[in-house]
Amino acid sequence: MHVYIYDDYLDKGRYNKTINRIEIRLTDLGLNGKIIRLGGIKNIKGTIQNEIKLGAKTIVAVGNNQTVNKIISAIIDTDIYSDFQKKTLLGIIPIGDDNSIAESFGIKNEKDACNILLARRIEKIDLGRAGNYYFLNNATIQSQGSVIDINNFSIESAEKGEIKIVNLLNSKHDDLRSNPHDGLLDIYIRTKKRDETYLTAKKIILKNSNPDIKLLIDGVMELDTPIELGIIKNHINIIVGKERLFE
Amino acid sequence: MFSKDSKLDKFKDAETIIGASIKVKGNFQGQGDIVVEGTLEGSLKTDSSIFIGDQAKIIANIESKDCIVNGEIHGNLKIKNYLAIGATAKIYGDIQYNELSIEKGGIVSGQLSVIDDHKKMEKNKDEKKESSSEI
Repeated sequence: MHVYIYDDYLDKGRYNKTINRIEIRLTDLGLNGKIIRLGGIKNIKGTIQNEIKLGAKTIVAVGNNQTVNKIISAIIDTDIYSDFQKKTLLGIIPIGDDNSIAESFGIKNEKDACNILLARRIEKIDLGRAGNYYFLNNATIQSQGSVIDINNFSIESAEKGEIKIVNLLNSKHDDLRSNPHDGLLDIYIRTKKRDETYLTAKKIILKNSNPDIKLLIDGVMELDTPIELGIIKNHINIIVGKERLFE
Repeated sequence: MFSKDSKLDKFKDAETIIGASIKVKGNFQGQGDIVVEGTLEGSLKTDSSIFIGDQAKIIANIESKDCIVNGEIHGNLKIKNYLAIGATAKIYGDIQYNELSIEKGGIVSGQLSVIDDHKKMEKNKDEKKESSSEI
């Protein structure tokens, strides 16, 4: 059974036409299933966990990066996770902005997403972790004043720029290396002086003495530092498109 | 041997690149190729190759298979295979190498010695001969 999780922002009228189009397309393809609207639900985690317990074969995030993160956070590190990993797949139907995660999986738009759900091409990919939160694409922070501790050494930059910790590329135009199957975080530091630093690590601790400087995960959630970041290898089964941004 | 392009080509896919504005403190150990353009204090070790750019400043002992130096190093080097010292290099420390080239202008202040694997191999052979004749 397919369970479609509609994010709360889709309750706005301007998405009605898009939602109708998706629902018609899913019915045509024989992919219709249960719809859960997060707008009216207080216990999101409990609701999603319950659907997995009831035997959902596919949980589909209908929304954006934040929707995907809400679903992952509801499943990972819970009693339901082993059931989820054995029996359930995660699919995405992107609507609106902030859909870099869908783009990584080769899902360009909602029409594309329905066809991809039907094709059921499955990839098991790594999941990034930042403190108690999870990310699929990347985590970013300002480079100036940030210090990265890795095993027996530390790295710091005095220049303005960005530190990007990547699990999964989010744009084919990004000139970055990344493999979401290797169990490693790819760390990039690019400064305004155009010098580039690149290294990989399984686990890092990120610090910045300025409390106003936050770590941003998947472009949607800000977290305080110091924070530990790591990676969990091949942790989540996802339905992907042919044009995904990884091998 | 020292054409800039040929030196850098090998390092395009380096496992680690330390940019010019970066400061690394501690014991940095890798398995793949490493490029250092910034500052490093501690130690630097890899089973592969190291490229040290002309802006780099390193206060560390270095161990690797091959090494190309164009920057400043305060520390000892143990290069198991080939060490290339460029025109802008300044090395203050003892160097062990197997093969060496120094470009005009490169500065070395320290003792140079060859890692003598051949002698070790001959010594091992002799020891084996002795032990077999005893039997």
